[in-house]
Amino acid sequence: MDILLQQIINGLSLGSVYALIAVGYSLVYSILMFSNFAHGGFLVIGGYICYFALKSMGTSIWIAGFLSIFGAGLSAVFTERLAYKPIRENTNNTLYLLIASMGMSIVIENFFVVTVGGRFRALPPIIPTQPVHLFGLATTSIFDILSLLTAVFFLGVLQILLIKTKWGLAIRAAAYNLKTAGLMGVNVSLLISIVFFIAGALAAVGGIFLSVRYTLYPQLGVITIKAFVAAVIGGLGSLPGAVLGSILLGLAEMLTAGFISSQLRDLVVFSLLIITLLFRPQGFFGKNISEKV
Amino acid sequence: MSGYTEGIIILLCINFIAAMGVSLLTGFTGIFSLGHAGYMAVGAYTAAILTFQYEFNFIIAILLGGAIAAILAYVIGVPTLKLIGDYYAIVSIGLGEAIRLILENGGTITRGARGYPGIPPYTTLTVALCFFVVMAFLMFNLINSRFGRAFKACRDDYIAASLLGYNTSKYRVLSLVVSAFYCGISGALLGGFLSFIQPIMFDMVKSTEITSVVVFGGLGSMTGTLIGTFVITLITELFRPISQYRMLIYGAILVIIMVIRPEGVMGQQEFGPKMLKLLKRKFLRGNFSKEGGDINDKGI
Amino acid sequence: MTKVSKNIILKLDNLNKHFGGVPAVKDISFSINKGELAGLIGPNGAGKTTIFNLVTGVYSPDSGHIIFRDEDITSLKTYEVIHKNVARTFQNLRLFPRSTALENVMVAMQQHHAYSFGEAITHFGRWGKKEKEIKLKSMDIIDRVGLAKRADQPARTLPYGMQRRLEIARALALDPEFLFLDEPAAGMNPEEVNELNHLIVDIHKEFKLTILVIEHHMDLVMEICPHIICMNFGTKIAEGNPDEIQRHPEVLKAYLGEEVDE
Repeated sequence: MDILLQQIINGLSLGSVYALIAVGYSLVYSILMFSNFAHGGFLVIGGYICYFALKSMGTSIWIAGFLSIFGAGLSAVFTERLAYKPIRENTNNTLYLLIASMGMSIVIENFFVVTVGGRFRALPPIIPTQPVHLFGLATTSIFDILSLLTAVFFLGVLQILLIKTKWGLAIRAAAYNLKTAGLMGVNVSLLISIVFFIAGALAAVGGIFLSVRYTLYPQLGVITIKAFVAAVIGGLGSLPGAVLGSILLGLAEMLTAGFISSQLRDLVVFSLLIITLLFRPQGFFGKNISEKV
Repeated sequence: MSGYTEGIIILLCINFIAAMGVSLLTGFTGIFSLGHAGYMAVGAYTAAILTFQYEFNFIIAILLGGAIAAILAYVIGVPTLKLIGDYYAIVSIGLGEAIRLILENGGTITRGARGYPGIPPYTTLTVALCFFVVMAFLMFNLINSRFGRAFKACRDDYIAASLLGYNTSKYRVLSLVVSAFYCGISGALLGGFLSFIQPIMFDMVKSTEITSVVVFGGLGSMTGTLIGTFVITLITELFRPISQYRMLIYGAILVIIMVIRPEGVMGQQEFGPKMLKLLKRKFLRGNFSKEGGDINDKGI
Repeated sequence: MTKVSKNIILKLDNLNKHFGGVPAVKDISFSINKGELAGLIGPNGAGKTTIFNLVTGVYSPDSGHIIFRDEDITSLKTYEVIHKNVARTFQNLRLFPRSTALENVMVAMQQHHAYSFGEAITHFGRWGKKEKEIKLKSMDIIDRVGLAKRADQPARTLPYGMQRRLEIARALALDPEFLFLDEPAAGMNPEEVNELNHLIVDIHKEFKLTILVIEHHMDLVMEICPHIICMNFGTKIAEGNPDEIQRHPEVLKAYLGEEVDE
């Protein structure tokens, strides 16, 4: 029973981090209808900025966090402007965008390999990781609780942004139909940049927590595949779906690791993906996009 | 011929074959996949196990490697190829990774993550060249047939294709099966060349490498694929000392081509009598004639 | 299931289709006789293209039946419907843009000139003969619609009017019995519409087709279609010959938006 509760909390914690990544990814998908495979790159950028801010600049976690969020957000906007925008303006074909995003993901990852080296780096222990005993039922660490709370906080902020602000409304309209939103007077270019900034920022937060959990290295972004899977299970383009899918995935992973075997974690993730795509390809809340004939 | 040059040619042949497979799938049928290294792995391990463990004749082993990869592709493809674009891309990543994970945890059969050594070195220059020539012949014939046109129709507009009576799912699966066969053969040849294979050799990095040469050469041109493979394989060999930059360059190539010239080196053209005529016209007249000229891609 | 008369080739029986609560097609029923040249008219959004999409299997109806040559084809997939010798063109043109005009037609033509996979990869056997047939017959049709000089041009570089003709050529290459033309004259000037009129009437006779045309251009429909069906808001509001339709109060109301005193 102990282990069960423990793994559930672990799962929720991991899932909440996935959620930060999956939501940003799904947000971009809902607007532009394409999978940004470079999303993991923003995560890594966030991680490294935080690392160097803490280590080399010696700043506090708050400043490092802020720099990391801001930096990753900016790099996301930059990626969009540099690589995706020209392609989008030239052709309707999302295949080219997919390929370009794959390329960007490789560029970002290997940029770090080439500049700072591929070795594993542990973040300075600013984020506490001591164990905590919950009501005598289970043991978890402050870290898990913190990552859960942080994720909830940021997702909450996003939710408020989407519902209560003008740009949030614009984003929701654009998610419904980008072209029409543009015709209604929304500055589509600026909107896309804002969306990418948000995606990058959220990814950075996720990246920081993942760096603490798994140490920081250039290929950390590859873990984004799991966030993609979560987004697909929840329904590509749906934010609540991304959260739901992420939590499910986190739980599935941790429960598998705890009760079956750690090796099979990833296989379970991919199996869930296959099952979803076979039986309900639009995921839980996905939009059913039919092409107009 | 020096051993080094021989090695390069063999490597070229191996890369050509895999690239042709991916070209058919992505360039001609429009299915973006990042898991074909998985099919290479299946081919490589099948051939390795058959030749090392069971002392099969290597040609049969290689062909079986391709066949098993093809069968696996069929089983996986039928349910998953109904998915469009992005969804399939994600699935293909998952599948490639799943294959790699299974191989890493395959116990005594696959020898796990540390790799499978001692594969008989059956991939000689003659073997590699023969396989390449035959498979290139078959592939060029295929795309210059009703199947080639059908694949392209499915790629260009699957709704229009189905309204012309095409069962697009069937053609997509066929394309995947053929491409998996090619990747399987390529993997099997690789195993016989290096005498050693490891699951990590067939990861997403490998898949991306193949995709990027196809993109570079031109999506929709088999000649372009060969050119792209040739150029990039050579560059990789020449720049071995800075191989850490290799992946950076691959990634940059992908992005740059998509932004500047998404149609790659050859566009959708093949090198043949039509192309020669076009080149002659261009060089002799010094300008493009207006009618029938190639207008910048703005897509319909 | 009702048995249809010998002459009726297509029968729509109480078709219904809605999209997320909005009814696109409501209780539509009509029949087309074999060999007819019929017209389907109605204001934008009336549901005309939806009918085409329902018959060709692009959408599934919520209820109702589609009977083609005495066979219920309601639940067939698109490519299966086409195999029943049905062809259609599109309102928004769906040519293969980078393929040449000839190649566009060949993609359709080759459906009736198959050869095996083995013959394809080796270029042995029937490959040579069939490829030649496909090319010749495609050129034939291209010539028939007046595009012979442009056969080797990429479809996307053709002038608009020719692209529309190419679409028709491609549909003809399928050797259909029933041809659905979805706004073939869209975007054409009166002279082009006139040419198209002639083309449609000619192919109707020459290829012995049954044709159902969706059109906005009244001059096209009224001139060449003896049987006209008018839709609005997803329902059939009138059916008859051009005279009857032109004077029908519901039709006038639909197009002019007001009651017209006789």
